[in-house]
Amino acid sequence: MRTVEDIEIRFPGSLAEALAWQADEKTRGRPLAGGTDLMVQWESGVAAIPERAVSLWGLKELKGIRETPRGIEIGAMTTHTELRSSPLVREKLPALAAAAATVGGRQIQNRGTIAGNVANASPAGDLAPTLLITDGLATAASASGRRDIPLAKLFTGYRKLDVRADELLVSFTLPALPAGAREKFHKIGTRAAQAISKVMGACRVRVQNGTIVSLAVSLGSVAPVPVRLPELEQWIAGRRVDLNLLEEVERRASAEVHPIDDIRSTATYRKWVSGRLVRALLEA
Amino acid sequence: MPATVQTRDPRWVGQGIPRVDAEDKVRGRAQYVDDLLVPNGWHGHVVRAPVPHGLLRGLTPDPAFDWSRVVVVTAKDIPGPNCIVSHDRSMPVIASDEFLYAGEPVALIAAPTLRLAREAAEHLRIDFEERPAILTLHEVADQFKHNDPALVKLCGQTIRKGDAEAALARAHKVVEAEYTAGHQEQLYIEPQGLVAEPTGDGGVFIYGSMQCPYFIVHELCEALALPPEKIRVKQAAVGGAFGGKEEFPTWLAGYVALLALKAKRPVKIVYDRHQDILYTTKRHPVWSRYRTGLNRDGTIAAIAVDFLLDGGAYLTLSDVVMYRGILHAAMGYRCDHVFVNGLVARTNTVPSGAFRGFGAPQAIWGLESHVDAMAAAAGMTPHEFRLKNCLVQGDTTPTGQVLKWSVGSPAVLEKSLERCRFDEQWKKCSRGKPGAKSWYGIGVSFFAHGAAFTGDGEARIKARAAMDLDWLAPGRPGGIVRVSSTEMGQGALTVLSQLAADGLGLDLSRVSCPFPDTALVPNSGPTVASRTTMVVGSCVYGAAGKLKKALEQFAGKPIASGKEFDEIASAYLNKHGRLRVEHLFVLPPGTQWDQKTFRGDSYPGYSWGCNVAEVEVDPRTLGIRVKKITAFYDIGKVVNPVLAKGQIEGGLVQALGYSVMEKIGIDRKGRFDASRMQTYIIPTMQDIPEMDLDFVEFPFDHAPPGAKGVGELPMDGLAPAIANAIEAATGLRMRDLPITPEKLYEHSQKNLGR
Ligand SMILES: Cc1cc2nc3c(=O)[nH]c(=O)nc-3n(C[C@H](O)[C@H](O)[C@H](O)COP(=O)(O)OP(=O)(O)OC[C@H]3O[C@@H](n4cnc5c(N)ncnc54)[C@H](O)[C@@H]3O)c2cc1C
Repeated sequence: MRTVEDIEIRFPGSLAEALAWQADEKTRGRPLAGGTDLMVQWESGVAAIPERAVSLWGLKELKGIRETPRGIEIGAMTTHTELRSSPLVREKLPALAAAAATVGGRQIQNRGTIAGNVANASPAGDLAPTLLITDGLATAASASGRRDIPLAKLFTGYRKLDVRADELLVSFTLPALPAGAREKFHKIGTRAAQAISKVMGACRVRVQNGTIVSLAVSLGSVAPVPVRLPELEQWIAGRRVDLNLLEEVERRASAEVHPIDDIRSTATYRKWVSGRLVRALLEA
Repeated sequence: MPATVQTRDPRWVGQGIPRVDAEDKVRGRAQYVDDLLVPNGWHGHVVRAPVPHGLLRGLTPDPAFDWSRVVVVTAKDIPGPNCIVSHDRSMPVIASDEFLYAGEPVALIAAPTLRLAREAAEHLRIDFEERPAILTLHEVADQFKHNDPALVKLCGQTIRKGDAEAALARAHKVVEAEYTAGHQEQLYIEPQGLVAEPTGDGGVFIYGSMQCPYFIVHELCEALALPPEKIRVKQAAVGGAFGGKEEFPTWLAGYVALLALKAKRPVKIVYDRHQDILYTTKRHPVWSRYRTGLNRDGTIAAIAVDFLLDGGAYLTLSDVVMYRGILHAAMGYRCDHVFVNGLVARTNTVPSGAFRGFGAPQAIWGLESHVDAMAAAAGMTPHEFRLKNCLVQGDTTPTGQVLKWSVGSPAVLEKSLERCRFDEQWKKCSRGKPGAKSWYGIGVSFFAHGAAFTGDGEARIKARAAMDLDWLAPGRPGGIVRVSSTEMGQGALTVLSQLAADGLGLDLSRVSCPFPDTALVPNSGPTVASRTTMVVGSCVYGAAGKLKKALEQFAGKPIASGKEFDEIASAYLNKHGRLRVEHLFVLPPGTQWDQKTFRGDSYPGYSWGCNVAEVEVDPRTLGIRVKKITAFYDIGKVVNPVLAKGQIEGGLVQALGYSVMEKIGIDRKGRFDASRMQTYIIPTMQDIPEMDLDFVEFPFDHAPPGAKGVGELPMDGLAPAIANAIEAATGLRMRDLPITPEKLYEHSQKNLGR
């Protein structure tokens, strides 16, 4: 019977060393970021106890937020606290900053990271919708090189990612909010704080002269993976924002999702409230 | 009134002094059971039934495992009869041939490490034949409604006053509805934990987290085949209990004691949170049905109630929970024709148990929701209807008890309504108005809570408190409070110290109030039923007064100062040694109670309360936000106003969780589904509304200095006040707790469909 205490936790001195370990099955370990998901899952038996874990927490190569021509580049080990307090993120990726500010409580925000939130691949992970609406990409690295993965293709199934066992997520590159567009994040949780989402979502929208030029909208906790609503996005382009439109948006958004019952909420409520939530995101 | 107590200007009673145990807790010095070093101790682990109902065919140890490293206890190892002596003898300590809930113990294992104990458990195969199981309140409520003989009734009791059926037939209007609520977990901060050590004389010493040390002694002595004096029980610091550490610790004490006696060494079990939620007692789920009749003038003609509790697998103390429930199910209002039919049904789940309020919150949930329905049927506002019909001094309760003294009604109701300007706010309620950005609603509930034990409980237990005159430290004489009441975070030690100091007429520094140890304290009863300050506190006050008298007699002069006390007490101790005096609680003169018919004085006194809740519901999501609670309470003489308010604030938060958050069901395997803090949702600081709380004092003269109960009261009335406010906000009447956005949505869709 193995427990958390049996795990050998290794601390690489550099990203290169970590990648070298990950390249070989005999030295490979479970990536360990802030541990706010993993520690809980190990303790409760939800995740298998591995032989080894590789702590990425101290790797400088995985820290930092900077502006690049492709977008805002965010290191994998950036914490929720850093996301919510970074002026760059707040200005150029306001939905992400807002989402990070709703994760757990302050202690969790100090430890939990963007890569951990994404790689945990829970449909209730609060950051995913705010990443998906940017049409950005994730970068994975291995001993043999780097690979960019469009975020739209990253989540492949319930708790599954398109990331190989020898790879680590190293950064996210997220196109900044274009001029004239706005972004919003909205979360419906089980209580006012320390709440896992029943449904949450984000949108990035450009409206010109009362007409919608483009909309990207994404919801979490309504499917095995965080989803975009492509049918709604296509239908809405070029339409005028008015009360009728909002009502139709609510109806279409609700029809486009197929959530399930679980311990936090019901399928019928989630379906209904998804429409309400998307409508609320569009209301200025 | 006990003659020995002199009236004097109280010094400590009435003051909001800090907790006497605060410094130890804030500095981290307090020792909880898991902090204690247990030399030579082993860890215990419980092997549990895998399905909710089955016949146990046997336990097969894996021959490949080295069993010499561990100690295994099964039902065969129990020296006496295999039962816990609770309100009956039906529950075994360890299941022997049949088990009735998933998780019921079938074997116990002790080992030098917890890991080894758990590993051994994996090598013990449980052979069983699965039997059909009943898992939910809804199943038993259906059985009840259809008179299904398959319903397993654990106990029943009725209350009759006048002729409710005849009065219903004559009534101008009849209002009927059903109300339900699910389990609630106590979720104390410190999980359950105990240590047992064999003593040299064949007995056992049990210590750790508990509410009622003497319960363990009396409930286990048969199974352990030990005389009570060979079971010594001592309380360690306790991190919250709320009733969850009332009867459950006896089960756990059984596990550690059997293991310790067989292993011949100390054994400790401390549950983790997951085990604690899965395998310990919760609040009883309730289904109640109200049929009430109204007269033309808006008075109440008849109240008929069916009150059904889900008792879980065994009776334990569910009969008394149901008694308290039925005694509160039609309480608070003037009515000549009352019939209450109470029963407890079996389900194949963990036995339901004590939780703050002990049946009263479940009853008041239905009653106070239904009072709003009656008000509407009578064409009156909820507050007019309550003011018109509430019991006042001189009125008669459903059991025929005349309210002769200490009646805080209608004071609490009037003051609450006035403080929050209910009448004005009531007119602003949204009632589901389309197009609004937010829906506002206000709701009220009004209730009494029987103080101390139900019926003849206090007469039977004969609670005693002792005061010892002894050395507190070398050269420093003082009074030591000796009671079996426990401090679990509620402030009992502080309040009892205040009462002892005033009884002695001395400074607090000359009084000490240690954790109870059954080797040293008389049985002052369990720490339950909001009885500690009122009953035990009054005994402490009385005993302290007697102690002072005895010293004055010894000295031949009155003691007027602390310095005089020090001299006289030192002289006494040097000459005679320790002095113990005791004081017994007596029910008010003329108290009469018939336990068979439930007629008479069901409680020596009542505390009274009124809650007003103001809520906002978000029309976009149906999210519920309780914005403000206004409440007045009559708890008799308030001994420590800061602690009393603390009890009320904390209790209201617990009641808030019960009302709108705490949802826990039974999964397909028959186990609680929300079994971690991740899924069992309680309020956070961010969810707590503004509170405006106050007291009106109607002292209880038969137990000086006049306190009544407070501990359970804040749990009683918030849920219906919130449900009433939600109806005022949305137009939707919710009859099932907790009230969630999901249920509001489902209900709104049903209403649209009609
Ligand atoms: C009390 C509490 C409240 C919480 N509240 C919320 C909430 O409100 N919203 C929310 O979304 N989440 C919440 N969480 C979950 C969690 O805190 C977040 O998802 C957090 O961002 C996870 O990050 P981490 O760094 O702690 O991940 P870890 O636990 O270290 O890792 C999570 C997963 O990611 C993998 N991983 C980590 N880094 C990499 C990498 N670089 N490459 C590949 N795989 C990697 C790990 O192997 C593991 O599978 C809460 C957790 C707790 C304990």
